[in-house]
Amino acid sequence: MYLSRNYLSRRMLLRGAGAALALPLLDAMTPALATPQQRKKAPLRLVFCYVPNGIIMKDWTPKELGSGFELPRILKPLEAHRESLLLLSGLADHNGNELGDGAGDHARAGASFLTGVHCKKTSGADILGGISADQIAARTFASQTRFASLELGCEDSRTVGNCDSGYSCAYTNSISWRSPTTPMPPEVNPRAVFERLFGTEDFRLDPATRARRMNYRKSILDMVREDTQSLLGTLGQADRRKIDEYLTSVREIEVRIQSAEHSNKIEAPGINKPSGIPVLFADYVTLMFDLQVAAFKTDSTRVSTLMLGREGSMRTYPEINIADSHHPLTHHRNNPEFIEKVAQINTLHTTLFARYLDKLKATPDGDGSLLDSSVIVYGSGISDGNRHTHENLPILVAGRGGGSIKTGRHLAYEQETPVANLYMTLLDRTGVRPDSIGDSTGTLTQLGQI
Amino acid sequence: MTRAWQLWGPPLSLSLLVGVAGLPTSGKQTAKTAQAPPLEQALGPYFAKHCAACHDSQTKAGGLDLQALRQARSVQHARETWESVLRKIQTGEMPPKGSPRPTAAENAAAIRNIHGELERADKATPINSGRVTAHRLNRAEYNNTVQELLGVDFRPADDFPQDDSGYGFDNIGDVLSLSSSQMEKYVAAAEKIARAAVFGPELLAPTLVRHEAGGRNINQVTAVPASYDVTGLNLPNALHTTHRFPVDGEYLFKLGLNGTRPLGSEPLAFVLWLDGKKVQTLTIDAEGSSGFAFDRQDLAGRTLECRLKVKSGDHWIAATIERLYEGLPPSCGGLNPSKRKVAPREFKLPPGFPTERAAEFRKRFEERQIEKPQLNDARVNTLEIGGPYAQTEGPREASLRKVFVCGHLQGDHTAACTPKILKSLASRAFRRPATAKELSRLSQLVALAQKNGDSYEEGIALALQAVLVSPHFLFRIERDQSTAKPNTAHPLTQHELASRLSYFLWSSMPDDTLRACADAQTLRKPDVLAAQVKRMLQSPRSHALAENFAGQWLQFRALESVKPDRERFPDFDTYLRMSMRQETELFFDSIVKDDQSVLTLLLGKYTFLNERLAGFYGIPGVVGPAFRRVDLTGTKRGGILTQASVLTITSYPNRTSPVLRGKWILENILNAPPPNPPPGVPNLDVSAVGSALSLRQQLEEHRKNPTCASCHARMDPLGFGLENFNAIGAWRKSDGAVAIDASGSLPDGRTFDGAEGLKTILKADREAFVTCFTTKLLTYALGRGLERYDRPTVQEIARRSAAKNYKFSSLVQDIVTSKPFQLRQGKGTP
Repeated sequence: MYLSRNYLSRRMLLRGAGAALALPLLDAMTPALATPQQRKKAPLRLVFCYVPNGIIMKDWTPKELGSGFELPRILKPLEAHRESLLLLSGLADHNGNELGDGAGDHARAGASFLTGVHCKKTSGADILGGISADQIAARTFASQTRFASLELGCEDSRTVGNCDSGYSCAYTNSISWRSPTTPMPPEVNPRAVFERLFGTEDFRLDPATRARRMNYRKSILDMVREDTQSLLGTLGQADRRKIDEYLTSVREIEVRIQSAEHSNKIEAPGINKPSGIPVLFADYVTLMFDLQVAAFKTDSTRVSTLMLGREGSMRTYPEINIADSHHPLTHHRNNPEFIEKVAQINTLHTTLFARYLDKLKATPDGDGSLLDSSVIVYGSGISDGNRHTHENLPILVAGRGGGSIKTGRHLAYEQETPVANLYMTLLDRTGVRPDSIGDSTGTLTQLGQI
Repeated sequence: MTRAWQLWGPPLSLSLLVGVAGLPTSGKQTAKTAQAPPLEQALGPYFAKHCAACHDSQTKAGGLDLQALRQARSVQHARETWESVLRKIQTGEMPPKGSPRPTAAENAAAIRNIHGELERADKATPINSGRVTAHRLNRAEYNNTVQELLGVDFRPADDFPQDDSGYGFDNIGDVLSLSSSQMEKYVAAAEKIARAAVFGPELLAPTLVRHEAGGRNINQVTAVPASYDVTGLNLPNALHTTHRFPVDGEYLFKLGLNGTRPLGSEPLAFVLWLDGKKVQTLTIDAEGSSGFAFDRQDLAGRTLECRLKVKSGDHWIAATIERLYEGLPPSCGGLNPSKRKVAPREFKLPPGFPTERAAEFRKRFEERQIEKPQLNDARVNTLEIGGPYAQTEGPREASLRKVFVCGHLQGDHTAACTPKILKSLASRAFRRPATAKELSRLSQLVALAQKNGDSYEEGIALALQAVLVSPHFLFRIERDQSTAKPNTAHPLTQHELASRLSYFLWSSMPDDTLRACADAQTLRKPDVLAAQVKRMLQSPRSHALAENFAGQWLQFRALESVKPDRERFPDFDTYLRMSMRQETELFFDSIVKDDQSVLTLLLGKYTFLNERLAGFYGIPGVVGPAFRRVDLTGTKRGGILTQASVLTITSYPNRTSPVLRGKWILENILNAPPPNPPPGVPNLDVSAVGSALSLRQQLEEHRKNPTCASCHARMDPLGFGLENFNAIGAWRKSDGAVAIDASGSLPDGRTFDGAEGLKTILKADREAFVTCFTTKLLTYALGRGLERYDRPTVQEIARRSAAKNYKFSSLVQDIVTSKPFQLRQGKGTP
């Protein structure tokens, strides 16, 4: 296990809010600081990774069932991880369907994918959905880590109001819902994610320079503190109060620096503080995945969602020469040129996802790797974007869930099996046992070895 | 009632039945009242007769208990209450409508008595010049100061937490606090700034920032307009934004498009503008792209991009469509029609759709064929700005000159330079000569860096870093001089005075010239001080007064956060918002630079407009995005009260509010802020406005409640005078179906009609305005709330300015030579 006690305590003390966060952090560290025997068993991590606007299904679904399948074009980039994959056909997001509410399949797909609930059609403040699977798990894990869950997104969209045919943007922007009325909007700025997780320290400099500068800061603070002390005596009451505030702040920072030094070795989370949203989409997604890996590595959270795009995404992909935006392309009307472009976008997404799996696999965790101890669901609430279908969804599970999932297979379920049944099963594996999730009718068979 | 009689003695008999109007209250009258009878004796009968029924210690209407006020010494303790009583009687707000009116003589006597009492109390107040609390630089001041100090041009304070404000301004020493998280920002910023000055700004990884058009309505157009803005700047299809570029460098501009054009249209030209100048044209052909529309060219989601070199700082960026209605198919009309052929379309069921819905789709298709297509609603939806690329590396020439003052080239500095460099840096940063002890400590830091194997420049950067976290830099601290006697005022040092001046007029540290005066100890010489003030007001930096003083006094800073109702005010977009703010800033700046009478702020018949705002005001002949001075003679506008900025921030998102506007005038123009409404007052029914009952009738209903009436009787009429301007400041003659009635009648009996009439009233009450303006400007200048002992100063400055035609500079000159500005009260003052 990589996660050192030094790292966490230092991070804790460097955090801007220092004292206020110290107590919850002590709890947070318990799993990492447990006895060696316990430490071998890595905690289970749960990830939901969402791609918008459906997938070109003919290039996604393997022809063969069982373990002898061949990966079609869109899944090809995941070849190196095929033994860690479980491909699931036949699952449905029934509540993404119209059900008498008319247009708005994108909003409904986003809102129902993890909740299994048919959301209320409104563009106003009276939004109403369901509680999402990740949040049910987060609630259970909340006391064990610093953050109950981490919601990430790769599409900057502050649009408010109506996003899809009279549906609130909350539905298209968030797959994660803490309560039927509280969406968890994803954080789209990597810098904000980093600062939330690790404070404001900049890790771009080499450790020697960083240490030297830290020492300089200390000398400077030393100096101004002494100067200020002598100044204080000469001031009247009101001025004194102001300069006292200053002095108190200086002392607090000094204490923080000192404690950081006392915890001898500094372990950076293996990622530099980002300065904002990267210009290239591939860099953006990779950075967000990296931040998520760093969060797991430091056991800052156990549950995360990541939306590569918001549902109904209008992103263009100039990096792979696609100047049309994603959503209108998916309404391809069987134009082969458009279908090809959508497939290329789908493949770009899986390529980036594969890099994320590479990273998880390369990160030791307990006896194995982060990939072994994680359960990652990748998919969309729409299968055919052209017709807005919510049946036979593109769903795959990566990671072995600490050995509880038998991967390397393609399974097909009876059509219209609620995708929520998958979440029921996965949450079971993580020890959370909800009575139901949205429209779930039970758990899925065949997932594990039993 | 009986109880009140007993309390206040027998009533005076009514002798005259004349209304009260605009009684003068100048100082001359009050001099005579020095030996007036004790307050209780003089005012008791008046209060008993006209006031006690409501304002006794049992009823305490509006929270006022005159019984408790009746002791003369209460003037000392309840000064504000007495002033409010005086104002209510003066303006005729009290006694309320419907009660028997006091006679003019009764009123005159009461006013004279209260006034005399207030003056006596002022005289009895010990003379005090006040102490300004150590004042942490606020964000604007910090940014300006590091720029002047080190020639670096990024704005580090933009990352700092918002400053708290008090007394209406965010430069009040007592209110500006310092938390440890803020201190952490200061420590980090110091390192960043010092390194930027010595080694150049840190290299930034390119990042992307997204701006959205949002909040606009684009009308569906079916016929080419006879005339329209061919630049596209003033059309709602454009996107306007202000973007902060962190460093000089190359930036990526990525336009996200939307909307459609008729089939067969020629390509469109999109233009990028930087600060009102065209910098790039990009064309796009919407033919043949993917899209939702079968019968139109669809731009949805298409993007255009280019890279441009931009200087650091805030820039106004606009992305527009040029000649929007050209290149359309000939059937649409418009100039330069398209030469493209359009094949007639035949119905085909979209593949993948069920055949049982064919009839439905065919019907929709046929309807579309008959419908006249909407012409052209192409638009810029988003603008993403990425960068920096090709960032300019290395230190700026300007920074090196400010840091390395010993005349050597970079790399050639010797140890002998150190004292000279440090002395210059620290003395400028601390805004006073640095002490030998301070300098020796700083030079130890230079040595420390070198001992650690770092370069000489690293050492200087380190010392500079220490300077930037010092309390002497972060705070403006005024010291009690060793010779100062307790409770007695002593003059500020020359350097403290220079700092007060520069932070007042420039929101920044003293420049070399001003500092030289302080160094030479000549700043207090009247002619030197006057010349410096004049020079500083003429400098472009005095624009800080428009931004920071006027922006907060007139509250137009709030424009950034107002959100007018999109449905009701489709005209309101970012460009209009930016233009509104610009107008008022430029207008205020012209008062400063041209040294006009401050009454011009209310009455000036000129303003500054660009095409967008001129179009909005209906003023012809202003073409292009540049602001220029425009004469307003013969128009409905003139002065801040008729500027869209003020009219917008004093409105609700969906309607005007005479109450808000009246309150704004009382607070910011007439220096008579009304008290907060009592709890439990019902709100207006917004849906009814402009329908069955006019807003005016509704407010009159509201005023039937006597508790409300006492304040609203004065507040509402002032606001009604501006009713011809809607909630975003556009001229109107009716509100819904109801014609606008912009007349008003004040409690003192004066009546007026519309903004012009209102301005005539305000002009007559100019003393109140000038006093108000002086109060605000002195508060801002001192960076502290005004106290009772400052009143004589305010009165005196306001009075003197009348003789100097209310010139802006005369007010500033009188403020900077006033005791509160020049002196500091010794310790031990309560």
